[in-house]
Amino acid sequence: MNSTLVRIDLSRHLRDVMNMMFVLVLPVFMYLIFGNIFGDSDEAVGRGNLKFYIMVSMAAYGAAVAATGIAGSAATEQIEGWGRQLALTRMTPRVFVASKAVVALLIATAATLVLFGVAVINGAQADSVLVWLFCLIVIVVGSALFGLYGLAVALWFKSNSALSTAAAGLTFLAFLGNVFIPLNGTMLTVAKFTPMYGYVGLVRYPLTDGYNGDIQDPVWLLLANLVGWAAIFALWCLLAVRRTRERR
Amino acid sequence: MIMMNTTRRRQNHGRSPTGEQVLEAVDLIKTFQVRGRGRFNAVDGVSFTIHAGEVLALLGPNGAGKTTAIDMMLGLTEPTSGRITSFGTTPRRAVQNGRSSAVLQTGGLLHDMTVNEVIDVIASLHRSSGRAGHVKELAELTRIGKQKISKCSGGEQQRIKFALALLPDPDLLVLDEPTTGMDVNARRAFWDTMKRDAESGRTIIFATHYLEEAQDFAQRIVLISDGQIRANGPTHEVQAMTSGRTVSFTVDADADAVVSSLAQEPGVTAVTRNGNRIQGTTADSDALVVQILGQIGGRDVEVTAPSLENAFVALTGHQAQTGPQASTGNQPESEATTIDADGVR
Repeated sequence: MNSTLVRIDLSRHLRDVMNMMFVLVLPVFMYLIFGNIFGDSDEAVGRGNLKFYIMVSMAAYGAAVAATGIAGSAATEQIEGWGRQLALTRMTPRVFVASKAVVALLIATAATLVLFGVAVINGAQADSVLVWLFCLIVIVVGSALFGLYGLAVALWFKSNSALSTAAAGLTFLAFLGNVFIPLNGTMLTVAKFTPMYGYVGLVRYPLTDGYNGDIQDPVWLLLANLVGWAAIFALWCLLAVRRTRERR
Repeated sequence: MIMMNTTRRRQNHGRSPTGEQVLEAVDLIKTFQVRGRGRFNAVDGVSFTIHAGEVLALLGPNGAGKTTAIDMMLGLTEPTSGRITSFGTTPRRAVQNGRSSAVLQTGGLLHDMTVNEVIDVIASLHRSSGRAGHVKELAELTRIGKQKISKCSGGEQQRIKFALALLPDPDLLVLDEPTTGMDVNARRAFWDTMKRDAESGRTIIFATHYLEEAQDFAQRIVLISDGQIRANGPTHEVQAMTSGRTVSFTVDADADAVVSSLAQEPGVTAVTRNGNRIQGTTADSDALVVQILGQIGGRDVEVTAPSLENAFVALTGHQAQTGPQASTGNQPESEATTIDADGVR
């Protein structure tokens, strides 16, 4: 890891207003709206209340957008020739990957903490500090899945606009994946096969033990979704790299 | 304190002794797979040795294989076959040790960074943060440090990359089309800076498709086209081969007689006629112009400097950018300069 690279990368991402809208502002905004439509009664959900449930869901979305953007831009930077500039230094690929991972970790954590802060003031509650802590950890670590997603899109399409589309596309995946609005019936069955479902299910697990109304999702199902999609995105990355190599 | 020591070490190692091998390439081939064109050799059997203290121009038209050759000199890409060593080790290691550095072609800087940020990041990756201020002064960037890259002109961006290349205080500096995107003044200022820098004994290799840049600045020229070396020798000798100017003029009568007498003149080659307009190539255009205006009685005299394409025709007897077979026909004789048939496989 290189601290100068991390410091300058952090300030670059914070200056990127468009992306920060999705990472920081939108989750807070949606929390306030959904939290006050559905969560006004402060009804209890598992080890906390409905506002807490909405908070972790929105935080998961924000962290996923952050991871997509940061990992993806790491790839488009390489493609735009910055990688050649870096290749003329002592830097090893390991330092590069580690530095980018730290940047993603810091931004995802900061965005989550901002939302948590707003939610504390706005009435999100949990039975124990440990619930907050476990949720935070799952949000940040699990967002790595979307790092792979952003990387795959960037490596395949080689453009920043494709990457922005992919980040915006997470909004649809979030609706499809039971993140924003509770789904039921056929929609819920379909949701179980989409990439955000396992992640957000695990994020809520410290709160709900996997309960979705009366139905409980076992941990293995949520993990299987996460690992399955991680494998798919990783494979997509490999195919993209191979395609680039063959073409020159 | 520790930082100071590491910086000192790099600054004090001094230049490599003159004559040390900076680069040695043997039978380099780089093959690419391109959609629609199949496999082709961007660099096709190139061998050369470059010694410490040389200022060498890699001259060739666009698509000649210059950038691919440079990528291999810097370890940015591996040759498909052949061998290349730099300072007695791999080019990649020479770059990591800070002995080789480069100004790559336009692009390659991130637009949302400031000038200071770019320099700070690369300096820290070279572990040469102590030199950041110094190279900013050298490349005259101190005033625009807080500017975003996206707001920098093409010339400023090239100066930034020049500053980045100087950060490790390299013994070998490779420049790939360094003046692309610069206007005439910026171009002149850039080469003035380079000349001063070369006096410190740094080995410099630069790729260009401008004949003038190669002639003004290089001690040695390597001519490359279709991935092969066409000529490799001291600048004044390559220049002598390419310095023929084209003189064209109009005569009012008896054009055929003028053409045939002109063809007899020493030093005059390639005489052609189009109606009353006659054109000839000569090493001594001044003498020919005097003759045309005097004895011959021609008018509308026009003298044109050789283009790189003409140089290729003169040196290799075939048009640049055409097939890979090098004809060995019309090459001027020169003892010290090798017209390189080695490149042909």
